[in-house]
Amino acid sequence: MSYGDDTTVIARTVARITLPLVLVVAISLLFQGHNLPGGGFIAGVLTAAAFALVYIVFGMEYVQETIFGDEYEPDGSVAGPAVVDRYRTLFGVGLAVAAGTGLGAMAFGKPFLTHTDEVVKPSTEYVAWIPGADFIFGTLFKFHWATAFLFDIGVYFVVVGGLLAILAVVGGE
Amino acid sequence: MATEQLVVAPLLVALVTAILTLVVHRYVRAQKAVSALGGVAYVGAVAMLIQRVRSGAGSHGVEGVLTYQLSNWGAPFGITLVADDLSAFMLGLTAVVSLLALAFSILYVDEAGQRVSYHPLYHFMLVGVTGSFLTADIFNLFVWFEVMLMSSYVLVVFYSGPRHTKAALQYVVLNLVGSAFMLLAIGGLYSTTGTLNMADMARRLADPASFGITLAPVLGLSAVLFVVFALKAGIVPFQWWVPAAYRAAPAPVSAMLAGVVKKVGIYAIIRLYFTVFANAAPMDLALPGVVGESTLAFFGPVLFIMGAASIILGGVAAVNRDNVDDLLAYSSIGQVGFIVIALAFAAGGVVAGWQAPEPYGSVAVLGLAAALVYSLNHALAKAALFLASGAVYESVGSIEFEDLGGIAGRMPLLSAGFFVAALSLVGIPPLVGFFGKFLVFDAAVNAGSNLGIGLALLGAILTIAYVTRAWNRGFWGERSEAVEQATPQYGLFATVLVLAVVALGVGVAFDPVVEAAIDAANAALETGDYIEAVGLEDSLTSDGGGH
Repeated sequence: MSYGDDTTVIARTVARITLPLVLVVAISLLFQGHNLPGGGFIAGVLTAAAFALVYIVFGMEYVQETIFGDEYEPDGSVAGPAVVDRYRTLFGVGLAVAAGTGLGAMAFGKPFLTHTDEVVKPSTEYVAWIPGADFIFGTLFKFHWATAFLFDIGVYFVVVGGLLAILAVVGGE
Repeated sequence: MATEQLVVAPLLVALVTAILTLVVHRYVRAQKAVSALGGVAYVGAVAMLIQRVRSGAGSHGVEGVLTYQLSNWGAPFGITLVADDLSAFMLGLTAVVSLLALAFSILYVDEAGQRVSYHPLYHFMLVGVTGSFLTADIFNLFVWFEVMLMSSYVLVVFYSGPRHTKAALQYVVLNLVGSAFMLLAIGGLYSTTGTLNMADMARRLADPASFGITLAPVLGLSAVLFVVFALKAGIVPFQWWVPAAYRAAPAPVSAMLAGVVKKVGIYAIIRLYFTVFANAAPMDLALPGVVGESTLAFFGPVLFIMGAASIILGGVAAVNRDNVDDLLAYSSIGQVGFIVIALAFAAGGVVAGWQAPEPYGSVAVLGLAAALVYSLNHALAKAALFLASGAVYESVGSIEFEDLGGIAGRMPLLSAGFFVAALSLVGIPPLVGFFGKFLVFDAAVNAGSNLGIGLALLGAILTIAYVTRAWNRGFWGERSEAVEQATPQYGLFATVLVLAVVALGVGVAFDPVVEAAIDAANAALETGDYIEAVGLEDSLTSDGGGH
């Protein structure tokens, strides 16, 4: 069975090309969100927009059968199609991750939601003879980690799960 | 630090429970178990917090006022949570009602209903209520209001019939408008005073010259904010959403809405108008009919008029209702009127400095204590009555008076619970309701308000009238066919009975409760302690939290 027979070739081709771009931008926004414009919320919205595009162009059956491998059976129940259940779980897990990062701080004796970050640079002591070692190991491979990123991941899951659940329920009717 | 971590504990318990129930939503039994455990843990967390606050633990050397800086950002920039006697009192009544309403829900809401997110919503509503009682940041208060309202929107429309949808639509639109006004007022207060932290705001309002604040807009903005709180508390003229919403919601949700969520509006009025705005430097109000230079000189008469109108309208309308839920909904409008006129006497006491006998010391304390005890009474009794109404519906299949009659002989346990709760509402000793009414009368006498005494008397008579009617039509008299064929739900009756027994127990062991209420009233009036505990007296740059 082929999907999206009722949409034009143009729509399907454009969707195939833009989809990876949208997702890559979403992920990059997610990764820089803790100290630059971006973050879990906007990345989640963008991801949900990418899924909405797939829904519109290829139909809900495509997402459900190809991506999740579920049988698609449109039913009139309040809970909506079966895939909604997955979205709701994602939503719950996201909330758990976000709240978990807040609780994690309490394990270290800090108030709820306290966050920390650190810039890690590999030592250039033994590789100083390589030309441009400072640039390579000091700048290129400098790693800035922040616990706020974990919180952002939680927010991302919440937004993706929440918006997709709404889309699936409303779209399924 | 460990003691101060307790401040956030009730909030976190409710939040974690809400999330866990969401994660395990596929397994209905596990979800019920998690939800019930979370309800019990919430009571435990609140009990520990109350114990710490009552035993005098405090921050920055202030006894009985615990503060907590979320995310470790110092006040006034970070969000501060404050647990003092007032917050502890409100959390205490929330814990009791929420646990029993939850137990009732688990037995009452059908399997399909529980699958559709009932438990997460219930606990998120609890998160919002808890946050509202704890926060010392006025914008954060708005956020918790929204958390609470978002969940309550869905819970009101839970049965999704045409009538429920209509009621919920009205409720949603009204509260959205209310929230917009609240945001507007908070934005205005922020731009006027330059802060969102309640303690900081109180400090700045007390000394407007050195912070460069003009006081005149504060009165108007606080009046806009007052309208929003009055809307949440369901006081006349903002009462008309109450009956439809309470009828549409499942019984345990109505119990929570009437018992606890309404009290959030009352709490916000006490916290903001008595702790924060009352502290403002004298201002020339120059308004007709307003004597005095404090913001409370303006809000006192307003509270009195709204309270009086609520008592009369709620009481009169409750007398000739056709079904139990409508009667209870109108009754809550009238009962909240009692709380509000007690607040009016307290406001008058603050402005005029009226004295009252010990242990109160002043009418301000007496009025606030009366409002708090009455809130406790209303929370316990009205929650018990709404649960009883739900139990009648589940057993008999109807709550229309024309279908009821003779329940007392058929289901004596339920009737006993209903009877005790109804007596508490009327105010018969030794139930907690007696002390609530007594304190309101005491405040009226000490305030020298004959009109107030008359009103309270009228309200009491109306209460007797509609409670008697409910009892006569529903529980006594000829046994109706529906009641004859009823299947009693003993689990549901047990929760009603437990709440009734709590109302009785609180009345019998009233001393610690009235002490807690007086301490809570003092905490609401001791603005200096509140500011100091948040850690603001020294300088703006000091690191706020206790760490």
